Amino acid sequence: MNPKIKSNPKYSKIFGKQDGKRLSSRVVEEIIQNKIKKDHRYLEIEAFGQHGIGGRLWSAKDKKIHIRITGHSGQRTGSLGFANTKIEIMGSASDDVGWLNAGAQIIIHGHASNGVMNGSAQGQVYVAGSIGARGMTMTKHNPRFDPPELWVLGSAGDFFGEFMAGGTAIICNFESQNGSYALGYRPFVGMVAGKAFIRGDIDGFSENDANLVPISDDEWDWLFINLKTFLSKINKDQLIDSLGKRSQWNLMKAKSQEEKLYNDSKKSLKSFRSQVWIKELGAGGLFGDILNVDEEPCPIITSGKMRRFIPIWENKKYKAPCEASCPTSIPVQNRWHLVRSKSLDTALEKQLEYTPFPATICGYLCPNPCMATCTRNVEGMTPIDIKILNRATENVKLPSPLEKSGKTIAVIGAGPAGISVAWQLTLKGHDVTLFDEEKELGGKITSVIPESRFSKKIFQNELKRVKKLIPNIILNKKIDKSKMKQIKKKFDYTVVASGLSKSKMLPIEGIEKADSALNFLFLAKSNEIKPLNKIVIIGAGNVGCDVAIEAHRLGAKQITLIDVQKPAAFGNEKRDAKACGAKFLWPCYTEKITDNGVLLKTGELIMADKVVISIGDKPDLSFLEKNIETDNEFIKVNNLFTTSDPKIFAIGDVVSPGLLTDAIGMGRNCAHFIHALFQGKDVIKDKNLFDEKEKINSKRISLEYFSPFTNKFNNIEECASECASCGTCRDCGICISICPENAIFRNELEETNDYEYVSDAEKCIGCGFCGGACPCGIWNLVPNTA
Amino acid sequence: MPSNRTIKPSTLSISDLPWQIKWDKDKCTLCGKCTSVCPVRAIELKVFRKKSISVSIDLNQANKSDFQTFFGINQQNAIENTCMGCGMCTLICPNNAIISDKNLQTDKFSFHINQGGEPRKRGGRRNSKESILDKIKFIRISMLTDPALDAGRHEFEISTLLGRILPPKENMKQLREHGWIPPVREIYPLIIGGMSIGALSPTMWEGLQMGVAYLNEELNMQVRISSGEGGCPARLLKSRFLKYVILQIASGYFGWDEIIHALPHMKEDPCAIEIKYGQGAKPGDGGLLMWYKVNKLIAAIRGVPMGISLPSPPTHQTQYSIEESIAKMILSMSMAWGFRVPVYPKISATSTSLAVMNNLMINNHASGLAIDGEDGGTGAAYEVSMNHMGHPIASCVRDNYLNLVKAGKQNEIPIFAGGGIGKNGNLAANAATLIMLGASGVQIGKYVMQAGAGCLGTEEDRCNVCNIGVCPKGITSQDPRLYRRLDPEKVAERVVDLFLAFDTEFKKIIAPLGRSTSLPIGMSDALGINDFAAAQRLNIKYVV
Repeated sequence: MNPKIKSNPKYSKIFGKQDGKRLSSRVVEEIIQNKIKKDHRYLEIEAFGQHGIGGRLWSAKDKKIHIRITGHSGQRTGSLGFANTKIEIMGSASDDVGWLNAGAQIIIHGHASNGVMNGSAQGQVYVAGSIGARGMTMTKHNPRFDPPELWVLGSAGDFFGEFMAGGTAIICNFESQNGSYALGYRPFVGMVAGKAFIRGDIDGFSENDANLVPISDDEWDWLFINLKTFLSKINKDQLIDSLGKRSQWNLMKAKSQEEKLYNDSKKSLKSFRSQVWIKELGAGGLFGDILNVDEEPCPIITSGKMRRFIPIWENKKYKAPCEASCPTSIPVQNRWHLVRSKSLDTALEKQLEYTPFPATICGYLCPNPCMATCTRNVEGMTPIDIKILNRATENVKLPSPLEKSGKTIAVIGAGPAGISVAWQLTLKGHDVTLFDEEKELGGKITSVIPESRFSKKIFQNELKRVKKLIPNIILNKKIDKSKMKQIKKKFDYTVVASGLSKSKMLPIEGIEKADSALNFLFLAKSNEIKPLNKIVIIGAGNVGCDVAIEAHRLGAKQITLIDVQKPAAFGNEKRDAKACGAKFLWPCYTEKITDNGVLLKTGELIMADKVVISIGDKPDLSFLEKNIETDNEFIKVNNLFTTSDPKIFAIGDVVSPGLLTDAIGMGRNCAHFIHALFQGKDVIKDKNLFDEKEKINSKRISLEYFSPFTNKFNNIEECASECASCGTCRDCGICISICPENAIFRNELEETNDYEYVSDAEKCIGCGFCGGACPCGIWNLVPNTA
Repeated sequence: MPSNRTIKPSTLSISDLPWQIKWDKDKCTLCGKCTSVCPVRAIELKVFRKKSISVSIDLNQANKSDFQTFFGINQQNAIENTCMGCGMCTLICPNNAIISDKNLQTDKFSFHINQGGEPRKRGGRRNSKESILDKIKFIRISMLTDPALDAGRHEFEISTLLGRILPPKENMKQLREHGWIPPVREIYPLIIGGMSIGALSPTMWEGLQMGVAYLNEELNMQVRISSGEGGCPARLLKSRFLKYVILQIASGYFGWDEIIHALPHMKEDPCAIEIKYGQGAKPGDGGLLMWYKVNKLIAAIRGVPMGISLPSPPTHQTQYSIEESIAKMILSMSMAWGFRVPVYPKISATSTSLAVMNNLMINNHASGLAIDGEDGGTGAAYEVSMNHMGHPIASCVRDNYLNLVKAGKQNEIPIFAGGGIGKNGNLAANAATLIMLGASGVQIGKYVMQAGAGCLGTEEDRCNVCNIGVCPKGITSQDPRLYRRLDPEKVAERVVDLFLAFDTEFKKIIAPLGRSTSLPIGMSDALGINDFAAAQRLNIKYVV
């Protein structure tokens, strides 16, 4: 391949060996640089493997330097070469020819070994043979200059074009050394710029970095013209015909960063899934035979069946605390709802369905558990005043009873419990006969409760209403065993509600000097008590307080209540007794009662001209047959008020002493039960016999809407508006407003003349805002388990 | 909840809780997304009352006070609704109005989670970020010595051997005599460890399997995945993808009858059988799948009724000694596939592991030993087991490897290390460390959940509700409302990503060691640590 080397007189000769001894690379470099400084422009070096010949000849500035190298060209020939330098290696070149070339033109008439043009940024290297590994690697293109060019007539070795960052390589693949391939193993790894024209086949390249692209006309023109120049420089002009065929050439270019980032040479997982995965496993993939779900993923926020939670409009599902705590189960919150709905009359009339004494008991005498448990107390707010509403019921008209059933019931005792059961049964159409030994109805309200605690006038009106509803009232009738027998025989059922008529007395000396509370109160109401000054009441419960209040009314100056334990008195009774100046002493154990008063076991004497024993009362059950079981002197009943005689029921204090409202409630429930018996219901199994609703959790109520400043309610409307209506929808529509998805709407229910709120499942995302905002705690968010 | 009320011993305020919701009233648009997405209903809409007072010193002007209401997001303080910091509210909030912040004080919640006398159970792993593996550095970096390799340029054959490798003499003898040569698989050294169907959602499980299949069939990486103890879908058992799967058998034997029924229909042998004796997250305790997650699918695959908690016993019930256990289980499993499939035990790292290794050495059917360290994760365990029980993986692997060296068998029984590899994100470094300490490969679980599916769990006790089936990412839930949030295809993509990235990083570590075709197993001279005691213990270099 080497052209015949002819000596040229123009050239100044340098010998790499002198006197048979090789000159070091440093000495040859010195000689060359000196000659250049002496204006030599043509140097011929008969090299002996010296390093870096022909580079760094900047001292000649723009003047052209011609270097001819004969002999053994060393490594890095022309390295750091300048554009003024033209080097011609007459044979083959060693490693790294044109290393860091900055413009020199280097012609190699033979082969070149590894690393041709490594790191070059300008200049040209023409190789008339093939090159070794790592040619054209790390080459650059500085925009101030033309890009570097590498022309190879033969083939290139392994790892060609690694990390190539600019320049143009042309591999003609003439007489390849890689079989038929132009390039060796793994070319263009890490290539980022530049291009390579390659003639013939390539056995793979780094597809991550480079691309084969079509050659444009301009590029072909450039290649063809410069190919001729190359061939002429290596004296192979005749090859143009065989090498200059466009169809044989390929163009390799670096991929842009964008192309690298969106490398789609790999099969996408989408197509892998459909073409490989599903094909092998079957439709639906791994679990397609067991699970039947859509393949599409769902978003985080979903509506419809994919919601995690569902709001339920639980209107009236739970009892309000007021209703739950009322022994008569009066749905107080519903009455306020009626007031808000401008149905005050209905709200008042409703009450008569529950109690015959809405004003006297609910409005005056009841300690009102409904108010004590009002949710508003939880936040220290004033409970809604039910008394205002109840006192307004005085003149409410009587509800009309159902059609006569022909069933008969006798009620023994016309106190609150007896009247309540008779009232309810009469309303249900049954025929009730009410017996009492007193001359007036009303039991202990009439006979013993001080009139200061309620309105006598209102009570009289309420009694009138009772009498109007219940025609058969037999007063002044003492019932004994034989009468009882007759009654039981005559009536379908008998209800005993005879209350407490016997007072408990203490087994102590001088007890005969004392009076019982019942008797005292009875006499006091009849104004048959002699004037008194000092009174001691043994037993400081609420009845004791009533005694104290009456004693005060009758002129007592010194009132003392004593008890063996902390006084059980509470509420209005206690407050009023204290207002009368009553003193509470405890613990006090009575030794005996003397003419002067009460002598305690401590030896202390409490002076009194009247001693009243108020330690509780007992029922008088002497009129009952022995077969009626008792429990500690009270009648024993099951949870349906039935005594051991299934024809006889018992309610009120005769069963267990309690509040007036307890008696009313028992009467109502007992009536409910007896009515069910008449209707032939399975009273044991029927779960719906009584209203078994649970009390609402007060956490569900939002009291924040209501004024914390209200200490007192001035009228019924104010009360109604401040009632949170726990568990019963206020129809305020706040849920509609708060719902972020506009999912809630209100439905008029024409059939029942009612309404409902509905959450549209297709819109609702299950956020629970409706529940969080609802003042009444109606909306409940439950897990979606469907 | 009113501010003034009676308190109980476990009444906690928001400041007592480990995570605190910071809500911005001005930014909130009341869209309801945060309360919809909260897995534990830690937040709710609340009506707030705001009092405004206007006063005047002018006696002629009356002072006024009034109140307004406004709506906002309220953090609940009930134990069962305690925020666990998953941050889904932040993720979904269109206005960045809500964020769950870690309480920097010691929370009081931990003292009260044992309501009803039931100690805490959770998912996740040991609540500790410490990792000895992270402290170990690769100190042997060849530039001019060794054959310095370029991770990007050179070609690597990254694979390891799973199976019993006979000593050459023995191997030649067996060849000559047509005897039995134990099966050996050439696999990728990063293995996806056992996570059951049940522990994982069907979408997650399928995503992992799909990713593994892709790595094998499209990228020619021999990645393997353990099935975990919970059966294997029949479709997978009967597919060619089974060869990428290491079937796990554990003390609950869940789903094994389906595997047996599928035996006659298998196109391929599984890669191996892993006998699970222990788990790093909860040593001494068996598997646990809580009732929340046992739905129709899980019941079908495991062969159990729905809606019941499924504990596995801590030990295999009919085995009473280490020799018996190893011999019996390995033989049974080998026999099932005609001695063509490697069978190896998996144990939790323990100070008694050498006894296991010594037994394996004398049993030619034993194909290796997988050891799971204290930092392993789990779908459900008692917190006490997770936080306080277990042995670090590094010294356990090292002890076993050096024991093999002593016996001259270090090339015969491969050790696979698991538990907390990549727990702080340093997957390739941790894996390479364990390999240089003596492991032939490593198993990952939690890492693949974090990188592959966006698991939110951290060692600061974030999220970690895998056990109750409310995983907000759908990774460990059996509720389609949650698991359908996860697209198996996207999981597969991430699995591919993580393996490719691991591959590059791993090469970056082993290239300067001049290793491109055989792993630097036990090449501990490349390791250094700036902790003298640890260096002594692990028999690696002490560097400062």
